[in-house]
Amino acid sequence: MDRLISRTVQKHRPLSVHFDLTYRCNERCVHCYLDHDDHGEMTTAECLAVLEELAHAGTLFLTFSGGEIFLRPDLYEILAAARRLHFDINLKTNALLVTRERAARLREFRVRRVQISVYSDIPEVHDAITKVPGSLQRTLAAIPLLIEQGLQVKLACPLMQENLMAYRGVMALAEKLRVPYVLDLTITPMMDGSETSLAHRVSVSSLLPVLQDPALHACKPQPDSHLSSAPKAIPAVAGSAVSSGIESSAYEDLPCSAGHNSCYISPYGDVFPCVQLPQAAGNLRHKRFAEIWYHAPRLERLRAIRESHLPICSRCEIRSYCERCPGLALMEGGDLLGAYERACDLAEQKARLAGLADPVSALHQERAASSQTTTGNKIAALVTDFSPD
Amino acid sequence: MSTAPSVLWQKNPALAWREIDEETVIISPNDSVMHELNDTGSFLWKNIDGKKSAAELAELLVASYEVTPDIALSDTQSLLEEMSSRKLVVPVPATGGELR
Repeated sequence: MDRLISRTVQKHRPLSVHFDLTYRCNERCVHCYLDHDDHGEMTTAECLAVLEELAHAGTLFLTFSGGEIFLRPDLYEILAAARRLHFDINLKTNALLVTRERAARLREFRVRRVQISVYSDIPEVHDAITKVPGSLQRTLAAIPLLIEQGLQVKLACPLMQENLMAYRGVMALAEKLRVPYVLDLTITPMMDGSETSLAHRVSVSSLLPVLQDPALHACKPQPDSHLSSAPKAIPAVAGSAVSSGIESSAYEDLPCSAGHNSCYISPYGDVFPCVQLPQAAGNLRHKRFAEIWYHAPRLERLRAIRESHLPICSRCEIRSYCERCPGLALMEGGDLLGAYERACDLAEQKARLAGLADPVSALHQERAASSQTTTGNKIAALVTDFSPD
Repeated sequence: MSTAPSVLWQKNPALAWREIDEETVIISPNDSVMHELNDTGSFLWKNIDGKKSAAELAELLVASYEVTPDIALSDTQSLLEEMSSRKLVVPVPATGGELR
């Protein structure tokens, strides 16, 4: 996998694409960052044309998400086209509209994985987040239908104030269903930049019980990998396990994969480096994908950024504990290259849990130094003011 | 699994795959395992269409690469065997029907 990542990053091939087919949704999750009104979604023909372009550009891993994808009446047409073009198809859904018949159709289209949002195993907690009474029951009823079809199901549980301590229940649920799960500590600002969704975010100190939970560390997936070696004129196939698609140490000197070998496409045809980096590089209604991907100035600038260019984070002593996201750095700190409070607080907490004594991020060190300097200057000014001529 | 020169081969239709810069990446959806083919492996993969046998694929290889017919056939059969063991390719049923 690392080799694939390295060569796609090096040559800027869009290996992995997240394509939101709609922002419309049949749930109204309190933490959601989307505007659910339809402002002119791409038509079926436009979506199919995009898929053709992505296949041509080298995309293999394709995630369809939303909004709720089953609200697209042409979903099967889009999936059929994706299958014809040999994409590795992954879906994100709340599964409210999944029936036995629909699950069977997904199998026909060779969907590999379906990620389903579950906020709690307690209906009152889950439904209060989705604002749809009975939604947990409906979501849970759909999961066996998907599993029956041989589809891989994964539970996704963003943690927020409303469900912080429900994660153990979600873990137990996943264990009972024998499916993997992911807990997500990220609650992002709205796509329009407003911060209403952040009111649901849990403070870093409140996350401590989660970060400390040994059960979570014991459950990290360990993909097995093997390589065959057959020194012949035609070397044999090499195989390795695929997890989420693009996690790799091959990104070592890059802030992340966004714009290097992955991108995000909105229902309106905007191409972004990532769903969390709301700087559109171009629109597919006006330009072809390849033209945007290879020539958009925004993507070119993004690709030039290396970890060493980050003015504060590059000299941070606890950088290895940090999960800094360039998009969140932009949205929360106003600077794509900058440090932001949340990441620094989390990194300090993780470093502390790892046994470091009093870890301080570079951002906080700088602030402390600056504050001392400011205080020192004030005193100096006072001294000057009151010193005799 | 027979890789006799006369057996016709087709790609397993369940697979996801993409040729990226002359190398092919294949994902088997059932076990989420990724397989990679180099340029010659990719060349053969592109030509596996349900209508060609190992012998015919080897002929194409000889025409495009500097390799003797014997080595081309032997390597093609080895690759088909390995791909078959990983369920990446399947022999075309004798009736000529396609695998669904």
